Amino acid sequence: MLLCVHLPAFGLAVARRENSAISPDEPAVLADKPDRGRVIELDPNARRLGARAGQTVLQARAAAGGVHVLVHDAAHSRAVWSDMLDALDAVSPLVDDSGEGTAYLEMRGVDGGEQTWIARAKRALHGFNLPVRVACGPNKFVARARTYAPDGCIERLPVEVLQIDPRAVERLHLLGVRTLDDLAKLPHGPFVRRFGKAAAQWHDWARGIDPAPLRPRAHEVQIDAAVYGEGTAAQEEQIFFALRILADRVCSDLQRAGRAATLVRTTFECENGDVREIETGFAQATAEPRTMLDVMRAKLEGTTFDSPVTGLRLQAMRLEEWGTPATLFGQHQADPQALAVALARLHAATGAVAQRARVRPAAQLEGRFFYSPFEVAACHPEVSRSARTRGADKGPAPQLRLLAVREIDVTMRGNAPATVGARAVLDCAGPWRVDDGWFESPVMRDEFDVLLDDGMLCRIYRQGEHWYLRGAYD
Amino acid sequence: MDVQADIRPTFATLKAGLDVRAGGRIVASCSEAFSTGFVTLDQALAGGFPRGLLATLEGPPSSGRTALLAGVLAQATRSGLAAIVDDGTLYPPDLERAGVRLDRVLIAQARTMLEISRCADILLRSRSFAVVAMPAAPLRATVWSRLCGLAQKSGTVLIALGTQAGTELAYFASTRVRCAIERVLWSGGSGVLCELDGYEVGAHVLKHRRAAPGAVARVRIARECNGAPLRGERAVAPAPRPLQVAQAVS
Repeated sequence: MLLCVHLPAFGLAVARRENSAISPDEPAVLADKPDRGRVIELDPNARRLGARAGQTVLQARAAAGGVHVLVHDAAHSRAVWSDMLDALDAVSPLVDDSGEGTAYLEMRGVDGGEQTWIARAKRALHGFNLPVRVACGPNKFVARARTYAPDGCIERLPVEVLQIDPRAVERLHLLGVRTLDDLAKLPHGPFVRRFGKAAAQWHDWARGIDPAPLRPRAHEVQIDAAVYGEGTAAQEEQIFFALRILADRVCSDLQRAGRAATLVRTTFECENGDVREIETGFAQATAEPRTMLDVMRAKLEGTTFDSPVTGLRLQAMRLEEWGTPATLFGQHQADPQALAVALARLHAATGAVAQRARVRPAAQLEGRFFYSPFEVAACHPEVSRSARTRGADKGPAPQLRLLAVREIDVTMRGNAPATVGARAVLDCAGPWRVDDGWFESPVMRDEFDVLLDDGMLCRIYRQGEHWYLRGAYD
Repeated sequence: MDVQADIRPTFATLKAGLDVRAGGRIVASCSEAFSTGFVTLDQALAGGFPRGLLATLEGPPSSGRTALLAGVLAQATRSGLAAIVDDGTLYPPDLERAGVRLDRVLIAQARTMLEISRCADILLRSRSFAVVAMPAAPLRATVWSRLCGLAQKSGTVLIALGTQAGTELAYFASTRVRCAIERVLWSGGSGVLCELDGYEVGAHVLKHRRAAPGAVARVRIARECNGAPLRGERAVAPAPRPLQVAQAVS
């Protein structure tokens, strides 16, 4: 048995609660932006006056004179909903968060009957001062639909309760289908053929069938460790000793919870009352104490405190699921754990994330590649034969090394460079015209590959009246 | 008693243990050699770069050392991972053209000597990479010593690329290869129709701890279309650079 807690137009209800000047009977709409915004939610009174979701604020005001326009505060709504879910944890241990305004609670095994559960849920949410609808049902749809049916009979409810596309509702109305009972009486096959695949689900719902399972929300895990009141630490070694102990504790907890942290926050409390928080990020989530400590050491390098440290707290944040993919590691296959540690340490050492190169077509040399973060998951060697032989059709190729672009002196003989600086050109290829970026910053240049008499083989280009050295083949 | 008959199996066993790929020269059998991807260079190096040791590819700019490195990386990324400590001069499209799988190459950007040594240290410690390439920065002997130790523990081929190995690097490197472009290969006609097809690199083994040094290999680095060379090829010899010709191998 499921208990549904439903708040229709949740964002509007929260905004209305914050704005106490508006009475519950007055029409109001919720817009995404104060000016030039669009209506995202509205109450029945505003709908009766002619306002609709999707209208601009101006249109809504014109359609429903005297309507109040409230602005959506997404962060606040999310916070309120999160608090409500926390409050519902007292009613049932399994709470399914189905989006802001709707939650389902698994009530099997919970003491009491339907009326008791409903009363408990209402009592738990009483402090939020929001219009809450609560009802029980054998599945998700029936439980939610019953929140609109005080007597518990969903047959007489309008088809709008399905929360489907308004155009589909309009089509149903044109066919004379106004209630769930009307819909349930239609033959399944012809109805689905006429309205498409999604209609099969509507028909099931109308008949009280909803196979959607309950997905309990994950509870937030907070993992931290602290040392207070055990003396003062005035030297670096003492602080690192304490940090090592805390990192061990935190990582032990992380491993037990099957999690890994991508960020840790270290809080230092000093004797003079100063409190300093230092956040250390990892390129890859980790639950290894050594990695954590190494990266923290790198981050704390050069940090000074005015007085001895009396308290230390280490908090694991941004937790991710942790686990090693179960693959059959070959001799040459890398251990993802070791690789993740190396990535985190590289990040700490250079301040930049380790990268991988990708190639794309472009007119200019510089645009033909870009870098993206190196991912552990993406580099698992594949075992298929096609993957092993992917590079087999490619062979040795001249390698260009990009040098810092610098201007050079070039003399021409005919259409080809004769000298580059003090060096004579033995042979050259080109020019190849590069004409790019005409739509924003035009680049037009002629590129040459030249072989100089000292053996240097390089790529040069002429842009306007100037010559530049771009790279050397190596 | 037929002594020869008795010792024949022993000789056969010994012969099987010898590596005769180095042009008939007797070298220690090196099953741990990492192929460079070029047959002639593998022959000169008695199988390739030794795993777990430091090797250098030396030569001035435009000497073909990056092309040789690309061959090694292509071999490494066929079945595993490789890493490059990049000083900002890398041009990945050419690496891909040489058969390197870029999704298996970790690139760590490092500008200073300290960053280069730290990155190499971290990459070797991870024991995840078959090959780690780094610039031949003038690091202290203690740093090279540590990197060599890490490479040995992880079985990684550590390759340093530079113009000339310093005293410390030359001491710790187990294999030193000096590169020079001997012939530049152009294809097509002239001007716009002409194209740089590739070059021939002469690789001179200056030092080898597991085989006799002094071998020279010629490696052809050239763009090819479906295995066939481009037509209209012509060679231009730059300033003469004395190099011995590699011994012919049957």
